[in-house]
Order: sequence, then C-alpha cells, then structure tokens
Amino acid sequence: MKKAVIGLNIKYFTRAVVFGILQFICLFLPYVNIEGSKHNFFHMTSMLIHTEGGSKLNVVVYGTIVFTILSFGFVVVNLISKSKVKVQIWQCLQAINTVAITVLLFSTKTIVEKAGLARGFLNKDLGLGYYGGFIFAFLTLIFVMKLNETNTGYIVLTIMGIIWMFPILWILLTALRAEQGYYVGYFFPKGLTLSNFTKLFAKDSVIPFGKWWVNTFIVAICGCVLNTLIILATSFTLSRTRFAGRKAFMNVLMIIGLFPGFMSLIAVYNILKGIGLNQSLVALIIVSAAGAAMGYHVSKGFFDTIPRAVDEAAIIDGASRLQIFTHITLPLSKSIIVYTALVNFLAAWSDYIFPSMLFGDKQSSYTVAVGLYWLTDFRRIDRYYTQFAAGAVIVAIPIVILFIWLQKFYVEGLSGSVKG
Amino acid sequence: MIKDIYTKLSYVVWGLLNIIHGQIVKGLIFLSLEISYILFMIISGARNLAQLITLGDKLQGMNFNEEIGIYEMTAGDNSMLILLYGVITIVISCVVISIGLFSVSSGKAARDRALAGKHNNNFLEDVRSLSNNNIRFLLLSVPVVGLIVFTVMPLLYMILMAFTNYDQNHQPPGNLFDWVGIKNFITLLSTGDRLASTFWPVLGWTLVWGFAATFTCYFGGMILAMIINSKGIRFKKFWRTIFVFTMAIPGFISLRVVATMLGEKGIFNVLLQQWGFTNAALPFLSNATWARFSVIIVNFWIGVPVTMLMVSGILMNIPGELYEAARIDGAGPVTMFRKITFPYMWFVTTPYLISNLISNFNNFNTIYFLTAGEPHTLDYYKGAGKTDLLVTWLYKLTKDSNDFNLAATIGIIIFVISAIFTLISFSRSNSLKNEEGFS
Repeated sequence: MKKAVIGLNIKYFTRAVVFGILQFICLFLPYVNIEGSKHNFFHMTSMLIHTEGGSKLNVVVYGTIVFTILSFGFVVVNLISKSKVKVQIWQCLQAINTVAITVLLFSTKTIVEKAGLARGFLNKDLGLGYYGGFIFAFLTLIFVMKLNETNTGYIVLTIMGIIWMFPILWILLTALRAEQGYYVGYFFPKGLTLSNFTKLFAKDSVIPFGKWWVNTFIVAICGCVLNTLIILATSFTLSRTRFAGRKAFMNVLMIIGLFPGFMSLIAVYNILKGIGLNQSLVALIIVSAAGAAMGYHVSKGFFDTIPRAVDEAAIIDGASRLQIFTHITLPLSKSIIVYTALVNFLAAWSDYIFPSMLFGDKQSSYTVAVGLYWLTDFRRIDRYYTQFAAGAVIVAIPIVILFIWLQKFYVEGLSGSVKG
Repeated sequence: MIKDIYTKLSYVVWGLLNIIHGQIVKGLIFLSLEISYILFMIISGARNLAQLITLGDKLQGMNFNEEIGIYEMTAGDNSMLILLYGVITIVISCVVISIGLFSVSSGKAARDRALAGKHNNNFLEDVRSLSNNNIRFLLLSVPVVGLIVFTVMPLLYMILMAFTNYDQNHQPPGNLFDWVGIKNFITLLSTGDRLASTFWPVLGWTLVWGFAATFTCYFGGMILAMIINSKGIRFKKFWRTIFVFTMAIPGFISLRVVATMLGEKGIFNVLLQQWGFTNAALPFLSNATWARFSVIIVNFWIGVPVTMLMVSGILMNIPGELYEAARIDGAGPVTMFRKITFPYMWFVTTPYLISNLISNFNNFNTIYFLTAGEPHTLDYYKGAGKTDLLVTWLYKLTKDSNDFNLAATIGIIIFVISAIFTLISFSRSNSLKNEEGFS
C-alpha cells in the first residue's frame, strides 16, 4: 500500500529505488580491465592502497565507493519508512556519488597509470561495472530529484554551465600562466604571474597593445555616438513622417542589405585611397557611420509603437517635428537608445575584416581585433600565446561588465527585433 | 501661354520657375548645380563614360625614347580606375538628374501656389521648414550621402566587376581588363570546370551550415531558456549570467581562443589524451568532416546564449492560462511543449529564423576565425578549403588571389540566395498578417 508523504512525488519512488540498487550492484562488477584481468571497485581499492606513491585522485575512487554505499543505505532506509528529510539526504548523497563517478571517467587513466598498474590505459578499458554504475547513477539521481520534487533541470544546467565556462576559464588561466608557450600538457598552470599583462604595456614591448586598445576605444566611442545618432535620425524619419519615396527608400536599404557587406570594401578601400584616408582611424569611423543607417529596423520598430496621438498633440501645441524628436520621442526611448549605443560600441571591438584590409601592415594603427588575430598567426602563436590571452582578457573584461550591466536593455532590443 | 513656355523651359534651365515665382535663392542653387554638372561632364565626366565602354585600350609598355636613348615606361590605361571613375560619374549623374527632376516639380509647385495667390516660402523660411515639415531632408541627408558614397557606389562598382575579366591575369596597371558579359556566371554555374567543381560543393556546405547552425542554436537556446525559466530553478540570474558570459566576450576573441584550443597540440587534445579518451590527437580542425562538425558545435556554443536571451522574453508572453488548462486536461511537459510552447514560438520567430538563416549563410566571422576555411583540398580551386562558405571564399578570392571578377560574381549569387529566402519570409508574413494571429 502506498502512503502519500507531503512534498514527495511518490510515483517515482520505485524507479529511484530500482536504479539505486542496480548502481550498488555495479560496484561488484568489473571497474577496469587491465591486461585482460578484470577488477571491480573493491579489488581496485585494495590494489591502490597497497601501491606506494599513487595519485591524489585515488580519493575519488574511495569517495565513489563510500558515497554509493551510503546512498544505497538510504535506499534501504527509505524503503523501510519514507520521509521528506530522508529523501533529501538521499538526494544529496546521490548527487555526490554521481559527481564522483563522473570525475572517474576523466581520472581513471591517471589513477591507474600513477599507481603503476597499467600503461597506455584508455577509457574503452573501463569495465561494465563502471559504465553501468555511471548510467544508473544518473538515472537514480534523476528519479530521486523527481521524487523530491526538485527540478531536474539543474543537472542539465550544471553540465552545460561547465562546458560553457571551460574555454573562458582556460583563457583566464593562460593569461595568468607563468610558463610561456602555446603547447603545455596540462590545464592548470604551474606558476601564476601578472607579467603577461605588464609585458603588453611595457614601453619596449614588440606588441603595441596599449596603442591598439586606445585606437579601438576611440573608434568605438566615435562609432557609438555617430552611428547611434544616424540610426535614431533615420528610424525617426522613417517611422514618424510620411513622404513620397519612403517605402522605396526602405526597399532600397533592404536590397543593399542582402549583398554580403564586405563585397564593396575593395571599392571603398580604393575610394579612401583616392581621398588619402587609407590607413587612418578616421576612415574606419566614417565608413562605419556611412553604413549605419542600414541598421534602422530595431529602433524603427520601437518608434512605431509610440502612439501617434502624442505627436499630434504636440503639433497642436506648436511643436516642430525636430522638437518632437528631441523632446518627446527620444526621452521615451531610453532603452532603445542604450541598445543601439551598446551594439555599436561592441561592434567596433570585434570588427575585423575592414580594419585588417585598411591598415595592412601598419601595426600602430591596428585595432585589438586585427592585432590579436595577428598574434595568433602560426608564426607567432608559440611566442605570444600567453600575451594574446592576457590581451583577450583585457579586452573582454570591460565589455563583459558593460554587457551584464546593460543586459536588460539588450534583451528588450533583441526581443523587439524579433517582433518588429 | 508664356507661363507654359517657362514650365517647359524649366526642364532645361533648372530653377527657372522658382526664380520667376520669387524663390530666387532656391532657383539659383538649382541653376548653379546644373551648370557645375555640365562643366563636370565637359571636363571629365563624358570621357569617363566613354572609356567605360572599352575599359581602356592603351596597354602600359616600354617605349624607346630617342632623345635620351633609353627605354621608358609609358603609362597605359588603368582599367580599374576607369571603371571606378565611370561608376562615380554614373552615380553623380543619377543624383544630379533626380535633383533636376525635383527642381522641376518644386518649380511647378511654386508656380501653382503663385497662381492661386498663395505665399511662396522664401529661402529663410525654407531653411526653417527643415526642422518641421521637411525634417526628412535634415535627418536623412547625412545617412543618404553616406550610403551613396560608401555603399551604393562601391556596390555598383563590384557588381559591374562581375561582368569583366578582372582576375589575376588581368591586373591593372600592367594589364587591361575588359567586359566579358555573363561568362563568369557560366563558368561558375556550369559543370566540369575546376571553378564550378569548387563552387557547387562550397554552395552545398554553405546551405548545410546555414540550416545546421540556425536550427541547432534555435532549439538549443529554446530548451535552455525553458529550463532556466521553469518553476523550481533557483538563482535564475546566476545561470543566465553564466551563459551570457560567452555572448558578452567579443566573438573574435572567443573564436580565436577556441580555435587554438582545438589545434593538434591544443588543450582539448591534451586533455582528451590525459583523460584516456584517445591515444592520438583528434583532427578537430584538420580533417574535413571533423572540422565541419567542430564549427557547427562551436557555433552552437556561441549562438545558444543569444537565442536563450531572446526566447526568454517571448516565453514570458505566452499566456499562463494555456498551460493551466493543459495541465488540467492532463497534458505532460512534452505535450505542452509540442502543442503550446513550440507552435507559439514558431509563429512569433519565423521572420527572425529566416533572417538568422541568411546571416548564417554569410557568417564570415565564425568560419574565418575558427578555421579560415581550412582544411585545404586539392579538389578545389586554389585557396578554397572544405569549411569555406561562399563569403569566406569571396574574401579569399579578393585578398589572396586577386580574382575580383569571381568574387563579385559570388557576391551576386549570395545576393540572389538571400533574396529568395527574404521573399519567402515576406510572403509568409504577409499571409500571416491577414489572419488573426496565434490565439
């Protein structure tokens, strides 16, 4: 007879128990196959204890065993009498042993080889007991969480979160790494240093990173101001006024937008050369401002949602169109202004093609995107990899802060662009 | 009668009607514009246009100079500059002629107002009207000039280039190039030629990439957003921030970093060997098939957070009663996703999906920073690699091998593909507008 317990979703109980028992049984099945002989978890433990100077990771094996047994204990306890608290403890233990057995997937090779038990160990040598335990651990965890009415989404989020943060962690660690070079055979650096950062800004540095950063900052600020003004002016005109050729103008913009953007850059480059502006930052700013009007959609979509009655009332009160734009529409559109400015500010930091074409080999004019790409060329990567990483971190940190700070506006603009 | 003659004359003498009807400054501006245009055409414009027909015929060469007694370099025609000047002349002509037409209509309006006994704006009043009724001239002039000079004109120049033989064997100033009609299109689109046997596989991969990149990110982001927004997940902001991190870091940085991580001696290979998953380094970016999967997966890593943020906003708009009703009817989470969440999302995001698809066909950054189109293959026209999209190939053709005609041809083909998908999107959204929408 099933008894209802408050806070538990009892229909998952049987499955959780079955998988819990199966996982426990897997402890007795072969964990690794070493040179044809199979060892289960307990046998492995005794071998590890008896070898000298094994890896510190041996703890994981012991931990897996201990916590699997403990959570099996709570299977039994809960079979006898269920309660919310007991299931919660079971869930905790199950989570720990699931993590432990997952870590084993990545560390068994080290454990076995450090203990001198095998050479050239591969994960395909892991035994049935291991894989069974691995799968049943996750299944048990899922059903215990369901039983406990915890959202199983945590499992997915944790795994995805680790994968998503992995490259970011790597670049941070590389930036702080004392050992130079691209190829290192380990993840965590042996020594930490800040010299990669200071080298970038040193006076005698080969890499004029400070200059690059200032260049990009200038371009980003100018581009942000000019492009935002142009986009807002264009979208205001297209949204709030009606004139002959308005539709045609929008269609022309759309058609131009369908051509790959940098197809015309060669010609632009020739034109700039003609007026003597090649290899200068001014050219970069002008060209990006000249094309800014193409990005009018999002803010036009936003302006369209402001009731026309507001404008009409203002006109009756004697306001000119320009006054409506500056005194009514713009103050109502804070979020879209921030969005436009943010997007244009960020664009300058990752724009690569045109600057690289424009500046050629004039390194002192490079923006960070061109400069850092230049550093990862195969001829330089080994020498400058840690400094490249430091540069990447320096560029990324302010942007990440800015982005997270203004995330709200970004999301508004983004979902506006979908609806509009 | 005499007034009619003035009207007809104003087609030739721009601004005439304005001058007669009291708008003297405005009329003079039109007139001076016309005069300077005619002067420009006489001085260089006409020659520019005439040379456009042949694209130059005088080859640069060495001539024996009898006076000094040595061979001298004589400058020949530079086809590239001829084409560029020709395009500039055409664009200037178009702009000036449309201003001329505008002057005629403005003159007619001034005439009609004068005949009806109404007041015609003088110049100062015209300037003042820029901030009011004619605000479009004030606000749009800068964007329009910018677009014409730095987008329309260069684009026209490149489009024309698709019909020439401006390739590596016809490089000015040493050589001339000439019009060849649609020969480039035929070479690319036919079969058998080496170029064609590069073009079709690259186009195929571009399409596969576009769909794979768009839909993996779309569904991945949707599922992630649904998990984060579902009931019982705590610290929603924390989880969202983790994923937003990858999005906030400028694309070229994360892509370059991941590219170095995926290299033969990169950290992924190091760790996979340390962890015992493999003996030898995996060819993440050096084997064609591996590289193709790698770029799609890395793009997933970069693209999912964007979709996640976007979808989060839309998910909150779905009326909660729908789920409530479904729950009462005994629907499980899968059914609810299939019958409520997904149809709603699909309805709202179709235009976004299509524009995203187009931008993925043109996703230069991901491919270029990650693989630069590599691995190379001998089957392809030189320079092109197995992960090259049409855009990256276009870029390489201009940058590395100077085959500008091919690059321009590919650009036009990309335009056609994008246009087709845009038309599909338009016809869809038009058909939807007539409905009452999702309810």
